[in-house]
Parts: sequence; C-alpha cells; structure tokens
Amino acid sequence: MTNFMKNWFLSAALVLAFVVPSAVLANSYREQGQTVSVAKSDMEVTPPQDWNKLRARPGKKAETWTLDGELLNDVTFYGGIAPGKPLVKERNKKHEPLPKFEKETLLIEVPELLESTYRANRKIGLFELTSIEPSQFLGRDGVRFNYQYVDKDGLTRKGEARAVIVEAQLFMVTFDAPRLHYFDRTLDAFRALADTATL
Amino acid sequence: MSKFRQLSLLALAPLSALVFMPPLHAATAPMPPPFEGVYQPQGVDEIGWWREDDEDERALLNSPVLIHDEKLNNYVTDVLCRTVGYDRCSATRVYIIREPVFNASMTMNGTMRVFSGLLLRTRNEAELASVLAHEFGHFERRHGLQRFKGLRSGSDVAAWASVLAGVSMNYGAHRSMHGLNYQIYGSYFRFSRDDEREADLLGLGYLNSSDLRPHAAAEVWENLMGEATASASIKGLKKPNFGRVAFFASHPGNQERANYLSALALPDGAGRDDGADRYREALADWMPIFLDDQVKLNDFGASEYIIESLAQNGWTAELWFARGELYRNRGHPRDLVNAAEFYREAAFADPDLADAYRGLGLSLMKAGKRSEGQGALRRYLELNPDASDAKMIRMMAPELEVSE
Repeated sequence: MTNFMKNWFLSAALVLAFVVPSAVLANSYREQGQTVSVAKSDMEVTPPQDWNKLRARPGKKAETWTLDGELLNDVTFYGGIAPGKPLVKERNKKHEPLPKFEKETLLIEVPELLESTYRANRKIGLFELTSIEPSQFLGRDGVRFNYQYVDKDGLTRKGEARAVIVEAQLFMVTFDAPRLHYFDRTLDAFRALADTATL
Repeated sequence: MSKFRQLSLLALAPLSALVFMPPLHAATAPMPPPFEGVYQPQGVDEIGWWREDDEDERALLNSPVLIHDEKLNNYVTDVLCRTVGYDRCSATRVYIIREPVFNASMTMNGTMRVFSGLLLRTRNEAELASVLAHEFGHFERRHGLQRFKGLRSGSDVAAWASVLAGVSMNYGAHRSMHGLNYQIYGSYFRFSRDDEREADLLGLGYLNSSDLRPHAAAEVWENLMGEATASASIKGLKKPNFGRVAFFASHPGNQERANYLSALALPDGAGRDDGADRYREALADWMPIFLDDQVKLNDFGASEYIIESLAQNGWTAELWFARGELYRNRGHPRDLVNAAEFYREAAFADPDLADAYRGLGLSLMKAGKRSEGQGALRRYLELNPDASDAKMIRMMAPELEVSE
C-alpha cells in the first residue's frame, strides 16, 4: 500500500509538472478592439472581433491566429523576415533547407516564395497561384495574392495573402482555410483583420 | 536465466524460419512462376486487410491528387501489363498520384500507386517497367501479409518476454529481455529487406522474359544515387554512403540493389529496346508539370541533376525554362546571370513560351538591367495578356509612351 501511495504521488507530481507550465504558456485570447503587436515585430493589428492566438509559432518571426483551430482557419503574420531567412522554421536546416527571402527578391516573387515554402515544407505537388495583384498593405504599395493547394491531409485549401517589403524586410499576412465551407465563411473576418494592420 | 535464454531462442525460431535468403548465386534472375489464376484472400487476416485496402482505394478514387488523364493512365498500365503479362495484370489497378517523390507502392488487394516523382525520374519504358514489376512482385508473393504476420508474432513474443521478465524480478532476465527485443526488431527489418530483394529479383525475372532491356533495372538505382550525391554536394553534405544498411532500414542499400540487378540481368537482353522514345512521347504533356513540381521543392542539386539527365536526349524549351526557374528561385547574383541565359535559350527554342519572357524579365530586373527586363515583361504580356499576375507585371513594365 505504501508503495502504491508513493507511486500515486509520483505520478501526480509528474502530471502537474507538465500541466502547470503549459497552462501558463497556453494559447491566448486576442480581444476585440485592443491593439496588439504581432509576430515579434512592429506590425500592429486591432482585431475587429475576438481571435485566438496560438502559442506554437511556425517561425521565429511568425505568429498564427485562428477562430476554430488552425486546420479550419489559419491566419499567419510574418513580421519582418530579414534577407537570408526562411519564412518558417526549417525542420532540417542541412538536409531539407527551405527557400529564403533575399535582398533581391521582388514583390512579385513573394507569392512564389510562399508557394515554394509550402511545397518544400509539406512535400505537396498541387499548388496553384490563382491571382496576383497590386494592393495596399500597411499603408504602402504591396501585393495581394490568392492560391489553392491540396494539403498533406488530402484536403483542398484556399488561401489569400497580402505582403509588402519595407526596408528590405518582408511583412506578410496569410489566410488558409479548407475550400469547403471554411474559406468563404472566414474570409471577411480575415480581410477585416488584415485591414487594421499598421506598421 | 539459462531457462529464459532457451525460451527466447525457442520464441525466435519461427521468426528466423520466415527469413528469406535470395538466390544471389544464380546467373540470372529466376523466371517468373506460372500464373495460377486470379487469387482471392484467404483467412481472417488476409480478408481483413483486403477490406481495409478496398476502403483506401475508394478514398483514393475521390482524391484530388489523382491524375485522371486517360492517355497517361493507359500507358502506365500497359507498361505493367506487357511486363508481367496481361493475365496477371488483370488483378491490379494502377493509380497515378501527383506527388513529387520517387516512389511506387502496391497494396495486398492489387492497388498500385505510382507517384509523379517516379515518372519524372525514370528515363525510359524499361526503367519504369522494372519499378512496376518490383511492386507487382510484392503483390504476387503477398509480402504485405507475411510482414504483418511477422510483426505480430514478433510483438507477441516481445510482450510475453516482458511479462516473464517482470515476474522473474531478476536483473539477468531483464537484460535478456532487452536483447530479445533488439533481435526481434532486427529480424523484422531484415525480413523486410529480404522481401525487397525477392521483389527485385522477381521484377527482374519479368523484365528478363519481356521484350525490354533488363539492364535498365540497375540503372534506376545508379541514377538515384547520382541524384542523391548531387543533392548532398550542393548542400555541402558528405557524399551519402550507399553501401551502408542501417539497423532500421526497410530496403537494402541502393548500391547493393544496383549491383545484383546488374549482375542478374539477362546478358542477351542488353541489345533490346528500352522504349525511350515511346516513354518520352507518352509523358510529353506531363513532363513540364512534373518538372515544375520538382524545381519548386528547393532541392537545387537534385533538380539540376534531373534536368541535365533529361537533357541527354536534347535540350528543349521546357528544360531550359525549368533550369531558368531553378536558378532564379535560388537567386544569388551569379544565378541571375545564368537564369537570364537559360530563359533566352527557352525563348529561342519556343518563341511563344510566355513564361520564359516573364522569367527573363524578372531576372534582368533583379540583376539591375531594368529597361531590358521591362522589354521582356512586355513581351510576356503580349503573349499572355490574361495572366494571373498581369496587373502586377503591367505596373512593373508600363506601356511605352508614344514619344519614345
């Protein structure tokens, strides 16, 4: 019985050791109307509605927000990607390097950079850029583009993104959601959020 | 403890009996066995697996990554059927999947999946046939079922050994249990490698008895080693060791496969046709697409190797264009000069290839040759006024004013 109690306390202590820090560092809430900086950069947004911010960040200078979970609607901010850096964290820097944003990268090549990053990172074969247009982002001349791809889980996802290069750094916000239902449902909420972005 | 050792040896006996030794001393790969008629699953395990595979196949039929092009599907199926025989082949369904990896697989119920990355890399009909016949060999020998049974027996033994070791409360018993577990894992993966060798030999047997050049089977692996070496070299990595077989490797080393496939190919077959022209013709519409999928994977060395390998039959506009894209995507200043040159070659080979002018224009602008680049971009818009990025390009290369 003593052994049993000892084991029980040990297990409880172990469980707590994992639970407590994760509660402290858990995903957080971004409240409507409160201006916050995103992706560890000077980019700021004022969400017109409540959003969830995920603790897990896809890259050093990236941050993901969602309404129903990142597989159903994923808004990712890229805040000031410097030349020579990839958009997201490389799984294996040596063996599977990702394409890098470079000083010479043109604004029109940013959609290709995102495409190549998705293809290399997810090992997918179907990705199509459906439109690339000039557009304002962060109060500057930027690019807006749409795309569609079949993700690793076999689901077709659509995406919309806005990007701008400021002082040789790339600022971008992307929205990815399944083509079925979720993309159309959340698109307006994404656009409203992206419209509030400032630098 | 000695009793436990005896038990562990007894437990391993059925596993080791399952291990297959390929007849590597034979002069050529054995001829395929006679066709025994259409096979139906037998026993609860096999029937269960076939049902699961049937479900997967239904899902695959609705998958967006499936390539439905009738011409391409008929061609690949025909290559398989001509190699293994139309009677055998009737038990299988071939599905082509758009995924840029070198792979093909076969399930127990006869579903063959061929990935687009394989079609990009095989250079002729004989090379494709060798991979398809290898996969068919797994199906014919019902390797999937044997592997499942082997894994289940192995994990049963491991589970019982851990129970016995737990009961004995003896350090020696625990150590023997760990040793036994390693033996079980090791023999499972060795079993898997032997299955691959057997499928290789069976596939080569089909190729030997077909009208295609059997030596192509070894060339598939030599080509793949060349690609891996090129990829590693550009990434600044050591040359991969193709002779090494890791403990958990499911397949034999590429070098070993190339060696025995080359040694066991029918010598008289060396002069046979490998169907390179037929292959190129059947893949003509898809090659630029598969190449584009590869180029965008950001594996410079591998992509360059594949492009150069395809160019051995002559440089085409599509190959020059793919090379231009590869260099522009990497985008070092030195790459941009090369990229512009490759796009020019592409445009020279096919003056209507709009995307070549786009690539040329962007490369020149990045290299600081603005007005020259704008000229190329204008040509792109002339050829493709409804391009998805037309508005953006128009902004970068505005129409020339009348005074100019």
